[in-house]
Amino acid sequence: MTDSILKIQAVRKTYVSVRTGDTIEALAGIDLEVPAGEFLAVVGPSGCGKSTLLSLVAGFTQPSAGEVLYRGQRVTGAGPERGVMFQDYALFPWRTVLGNIEFGPLARGVALTQRHARARELIRLVGLDGFENRYPHELSGGMRQRCALARMLANDPEIWLMDEPLAAVDQQTRTILQDELLRLWGDAARRPGAPTVIFVTHAIDEAVLLADRVVVLARRPGRIKAVIDIPLPRPRPAQRGSPQFAALVAQVWDLIRDEAAKAIVEEIDR
Amino acid sequence: MSPANVKVTHGATRAGRARHLLLALRSVLVSVAGIVAVVLIWSLVGRLLAHPSLLPSPVAVLGALRVLLAGEIGADILASIVHLAAGYSIGVVIGLLLAVLCARFENLDVFIEPVIEVLRPISAIAWIPIALLMFGVSESVPIFLIAYAATFPIFVNTLDGVRRLDRLLLNAARSLGASGNFIVTHVVIPGALPYVLTGARLSLGVAWMAMVAGELVGGDAGLGWRIMWYQEFFAMDKVMAIILVIGVLGFVADAALRGLQRRLLGWNPVES
Repeated sequence: MTDSILKIQAVRKTYVSVRTGDTIEALAGIDLEVPAGEFLAVVGPSGCGKSTLLSLVAGFTQPSAGEVLYRGQRVTGAGPERGVMFQDYALFPWRTVLGNIEFGPLARGVALTQRHARARELIRLVGLDGFENRYPHELSGGMRQRCALARMLANDPEIWLMDEPLAAVDQQTRTILQDELLRLWGDAARRPGAPTVIFVTHAIDEAVLLADRVVVLARRPGRIKAVIDIPLPRPRPAQRGSPQFAALVAQVWDLIRDEAAKAIVEEIDR
Repeated sequence: MSPANVKVTHGATRAGRARHLLLALRSVLVSVAGIVAVVLIWSLVGRLLAHPSLLPSPVAVLGALRVLLAGEIGADILASIVHLAAGYSIGVVIGLLLAVLCARFENLDVFIEPVIEVLRPISAIAWIPIALLMFGVSESVPIFLIAYAATFPIFVNTLDGVRRLDRLLLNAARSLGASGNFIVTHVVIPGALPYVLTGARLSLGVAWMAMVAGELVGGDAGLGWRIMWYQEFFAMDKVMAIILVIGVLGFVADAALRGLQRRLLGWNPVES
């Protein structure tokens, strides 16, 4: 893998709890390389450090030890080449759909006509026509998520960092958005320079459906338990319900089951 | 589910509008009833308990108000507005500035906040003797008191608003390529605006009270000063008329800020 866009080397992350003063080890010794153009899914039970891993790549936090290298450069902060889609949308409530989508280009100094043209194109692409001037509180969960996706895409990021982006929408919307996400990424026909995706999710079937590889994290401390190749043919939507798909889901679930059970017991204890 | 649903929405448009109108009418009627009740109690108490020259009847006060409005009260209102505009601007600018500095520099915050928290509960009125000695009887006394009173609410609310900013939104802005200055102008300020405007309204309320107090004892013009003037002539009907004017103008000023709030915060479902 000479063309790795992202290298995570011996990364540890510890937090000190403000309330108890205890040190919490969120991630312990993560090593991971992501080749350019790959769709990588990260799954694991709650508390395994999935979101922390994404924050480190985004540059929101710094590792306690080890290095995150993006295109060979150490990550020290956030940047527009690494787009982020947040679990809770994180739309600016005082900006309309259009205002949210053009925030990135506006911040980077793109001229008005250009960024409006791009924003309108994206609004069409994610199916928000007619909602340009609505505020986030006037949108449904699925529409907010589309808006967040378009906002991320407006910067044409090289890598998409997605933190459980479909966790908060209903099952039907979720299925539709999965298909749209695959289409936007280039599921059917991969073009050179296609974006790299790191997709954090707790839904195993979603991870298997979307990804080239699935990283399974274990918890307490967060570490990589397994990396599973997903050799399913693309385009993927057709693979839903295939025996091979079901077998892969079962394989990942076997790896997670014990961890998930432990997580539930701990939740109850607390 | 859909046929029942359709029926409900159809009915809601007409019946809903009628009910809305009725509710609005009822709230207006209740408000008017409240005012009428106060006026009734006022005239009753005036007649039964106090001498009419001490507590003039509503009719006498209205008469005095007509005389005032035809004559010199315009100059007093203007003087008060000048005091308020000067003092309120100074107080709001200081409060905003301190809040932004506290939010931006953590060490400064530790230094400034205790000072503010000690000064804040001290009523502006407590500073009148010192203000009088410092400025003499002049417009500086009400302006100082107004500025003092107005500083705190906007400081506290703005700082609160900046601190309550969703960290996720700051992260989102950074990952979209926003610089520090861009984040201040496009995320921090709009995000804190609901709190800033609430602070501005609270500041205006206390500033209005400080204005009357300052003019009453330390001013040489304005509505508060005019109250004392008429009290010396024992013209209680005129005193009451001016108090009425102060109340109505204060209400109008707050309504103006409320309108601004609604206009600027259309995106905020809680405020609109």
